[in-house]
Amino acid sequence: MLSSLLILLLLPLVGAVIIGFLPNSKPQLIRNIAIVTSSITLFYAIYLITLGDVTPTDHGLWQNYHHTWNTRMGTSFSLGVDGFSYPLVILTTLLVWIAVLASKAINHHPKGYYLLMLVLSSAIMGVFMARDWALFYVFWEATLIPLFFLIDRWGGQGRQTAALNFVLYTMGGSVFMLLSLLVLFDATGGQSFSFEAISEGAKHLKASDQVLIFMGLLIGFGVKMPIFPLHGWLPLAHVEAPSPVSILLSGILLKMGAYGLIRAAAMLPDAAHTLQPLLVVLALIAISYGSLLAWKQSDLKKMIAYSSVAHMGVVLLGISTLNTLGMTGAVYQMVAHGLVAGASFMLIGLLYERTHTKDINDYGSLLHVTPRFAFFTIFAFIAGVGLPGTAGFVAELHVMIGSFQHWGWIMVVLAFGIIVSATYSVRTIKRLFTGPAKQSMKEIDDLRPTEVLAAAVLMVGVMVLGLYPSLVLDLISPAVHDFIEQVAVQAVVKEH
Amino acid sequence: MFSAEVMTLIVKVVLALIPLLPLLAALWIAFGFIFSWNRLEAGEKQTSQVALGAISLSFLLVLVLDIYAIAYGVPSETIKLGQWLSSGQYHVDISFLIDYKSLVMANLIGFITLVVTRFSINYLHREAGFQRFFMMLSVFSTAMFIITFSGNAFFTFIGWEMAGVSSYLLIAYSWHRDVATNNATRAFVTNRIGDAGFLLGIAFSLFWLSTVDWLEMSYVITSKIHIGIILFGFIIAALAKSAQFPFSAWITRALEGPTPSSAVFYGSIMVHAGVYLLLRAEPLLVQVPSLMIFVLLMGLITVIYAYIVGLVQTDVKSSFMFSTMAQVGLMMVWIGLGWFELALGHIVVHAVWRAYQFLHAPSFMQHVERPASPVPKWLSKKTWLYTAALQRFWLDGISDWLLTKPTRKIASEVQIFDEQVVDRITGIPSHLNMLSTLSHWEAHKKGTFTVSNEVGVGRGFFGKSLELLASMAEFLEEKLILKGSGEGLMSGMNFVGKYLELVDKLLTQPRYVLVLIMATFVVVL
Repeated sequence: MLSSLLILLLLPLVGAVIIGFLPNSKPQLIRNIAIVTSSITLFYAIYLITLGDVTPTDHGLWQNYHHTWNTRMGTSFSLGVDGFSYPLVILTTLLVWIAVLASKAINHHPKGYYLLMLVLSSAIMGVFMARDWALFYVFWEATLIPLFFLIDRWGGQGRQTAALNFVLYTMGGSVFMLLSLLVLFDATGGQSFSFEAISEGAKHLKASDQVLIFMGLLIGFGVKMPIFPLHGWLPLAHVEAPSPVSILLSGILLKMGAYGLIRAAAMLPDAAHTLQPLLVVLALIAISYGSLLAWKQSDLKKMIAYSSVAHMGVVLLGISTLNTLGMTGAVYQMVAHGLVAGASFMLIGLLYERTHTKDINDYGSLLHVTPRFAFFTIFAFIAGVGLPGTAGFVAELHVMIGSFQHWGWIMVVLAFGIIVSATYSVRTIKRLFTGPAKQSMKEIDDLRPTEVLAAAVLMVGVMVLGLYPSLVLDLISPAVHDFIEQVAVQAVVKEH
Repeated sequence: MFSAEVMTLIVKVVLALIPLLPLLAALWIAFGFIFSWNRLEAGEKQTSQVALGAISLSFLLVLVLDIYAIAYGVPSETIKLGQWLSSGQYHVDISFLIDYKSLVMANLIGFITLVVTRFSINYLHREAGFQRFFMMLSVFSTAMFIITFSGNAFFTFIGWEMAGVSSYLLIAYSWHRDVATNNATRAFVTNRIGDAGFLLGIAFSLFWLSTVDWLEMSYVITSKIHIGIILFGFIIAALAKSAQFPFSAWITRALEGPTPSSAVFYGSIMVHAGVYLLLRAEPLLVQVPSLMIFVLLMGLITVIYAYIVGLVQTDVKSSFMFSTMAQVGLMMVWIGLGWFELALGHIVVHAVWRAYQFLHAPSFMQHVERPASPVPKWLSKKTWLYTAALQRFWLDGISDWLLTKPTRKIASEVQIFDEQVVDRITGIPSHLNMLSTLSHWEAHKKGTFTVSNEVGVGRGFFGKSLELLASMAEFLEEKLILKGSGEGLMSGMNFVGKYLELVDKLLTQPRYVLVLIMATFVVVL
């Protein structure tokens, strides 16, 4: 019997295979198939929630599919989702759909492009669904291959450098992650790579060993997330990647790192407790550093890229608290930032297609020329600041309260980051849409219907999550509850 | 006839409708003007009919209340319609109070506003602000009904302010004339002093009495000082609204408005609102005799002041005004003496007479047969008093010197502080992406206009600090992270790659392959 999660994982691959048999000379057909495939995947992912068999069972784990690969190595093909991963799976399917819709400007080698997009979406979903560290690692590395080609072939001027840089950075991090996983596997008896077995075995490790292993994982996940100072790949990759890929990079790829970090913290609670101060310092640096640099950029894509660093800092801050509110906020922020960053990159990308400039100084007075652009872009930037009524507000509030409980007044840094983010957002709005009309900006097409649809879906998502948070909070809370219990109980056991 | 419950329900509905009808009329007129279904002369008929209809119905409903009161007796109790706000232990209801005072007052207001509204239809015919006038007159009627029937001070204050605002707007009826707008502002600001007193009264009532309900307030037993302070606030409000000394100066300025509005506001109705407020506060007032003496004194001073100044006035409306002031001063005296019923009676008689007189004012000259009597001998002999009377005792000048000038000075000093200190710290917002000079404009026409790169440039102390921090972060990012690790990684790879390439090249040559094979054998063996 096929598991529904396995179907979800395979759906994009089916589309990819179909595209694989089509000739390059039919770009519209290829594009339509990609859109249909991603739509079906999206609806199936949403449908799975409403399905009866996706109900919380033990450990908040919902769906499970298990197939042993290699008994000698202890690897297995094991899938499952819980409150941490399922929102991210839905986010993935949604953003892939958005990215495919926004890919109209890709005009060469459409076959390879859409094929790689679909493969990428499968690989990302695999990362979130994996319940086995070996499988997790396989999917983790599998995302690199399509991404490398997507950036390298369809990117901007410096795409080769960016693609290589991106892969080298991530691979460099992955090496540490692999080492940590192998050490962990060895130290826990070498029976199985499954999440449960490893975290069961990790309980008996000494705290100092745990810390060393955790540091390795932190480097691996930190590159992806990104954590200061491992974010060197990010500005380059985001700027050079084609806009739809930027949506995925910023919207989901960064979340893989944060997601992995949460899993690592659940697995190595002692290390997490020991390294809490390190995490909070890194988070606060990321927040202030990212927003300051975003403020300094006149390149629009670069600005959003650095703002992503700051926003992911908020996620890290939430994780560093290891309390209910902070963790809830962290997961919420992942979803919120996925939607907001997706919207921002999409709109700026579409604008770039029309104007061929990313420099903010070249813009002006677009409010009259492109009112639809103006509306959605202003909304996206406001949502980026986390104004009440948008998803970011709920997330930042949770993180702020949670971290205030744990860390106290040091949270002023978070407030500083939020203020700076408001500064650059408002400045960008002003520069893009007001001022004297530019000669060169007088004949720009406004958003096309499909693009309006994509932007509107993201906007509605941001607002629904902002005004009716319990929709996602109910999904997250069992997982957060389990996480807190696991982390707290083990810490207490060790003390005695 | 009806059961008691149905009866109370009917009374409630009637009470709610009385102030609501003119308000709805005002809204109708306003919307009509916005969506232009009653503009210009063609809309006059509809406008006046709506306003007149509403006020007639209200007056009719007041009469219904009268019949009810005659049949069942005056209820003299607070009728609660609902709760307006509730915060902690404080709550404010939407409540009405029917007793003989409010009934008398409501009849008076209903009657006079009805007459004045009817009069205005002809008087304002073909005036540019016809619709505006009737809208504001309706708002004013609502305000006065609210003041009359309100069961608590809070609600009275709402009516009080609505009356103030509609008065302000009517004085500035000819808003394109400087005098009108200046006078309107002056009148409004003076009234705000009274409003401050009213608000203090409400706040202290909530604080010390825990209620603002007129009836409940009189039952609460507390120290005389508390009651005195609360009352003092209300008295200030009453003195300001009724143009008593020392707030008298505003009311003559208020005559700038169209005559019917002068009649209804300052001649007969709004000027009595202060007296009515003190009547409402009667149960409190009798507890503090010293404040009654204060009211008496103020009334007395006003009477003397208005009498002397009134003697030297040369135009009809001003003489009426000072005479009104004197009469209202007398009412204050009655209140000070504790003759509250007399004051109420005086209001009614005076209001009706004065309304007639004011409406009559424009044609007054045609009706007088003999010339106005000259200034009496005793006054013209005393030059200083005569001058003072002509100058209206410099009340305007004194208030300017005492209040306006210092305020203006402080304001200009604060502005200097703001410009010199605060702006420098916070930085003023930039307008640099606007066309601000001619050369910008020319450049823009040619298409060469570019805004200077001000991204990452901050203004003021905070902006500059931000800029400094950002530059430091950028330096770090450039040198360490992008160049150092990003490009460093690449060049490192290139470096290693070059050597590996060399090794590879060497390995392709047979002699090295042989060496390698031999080495392997050595290791294996």
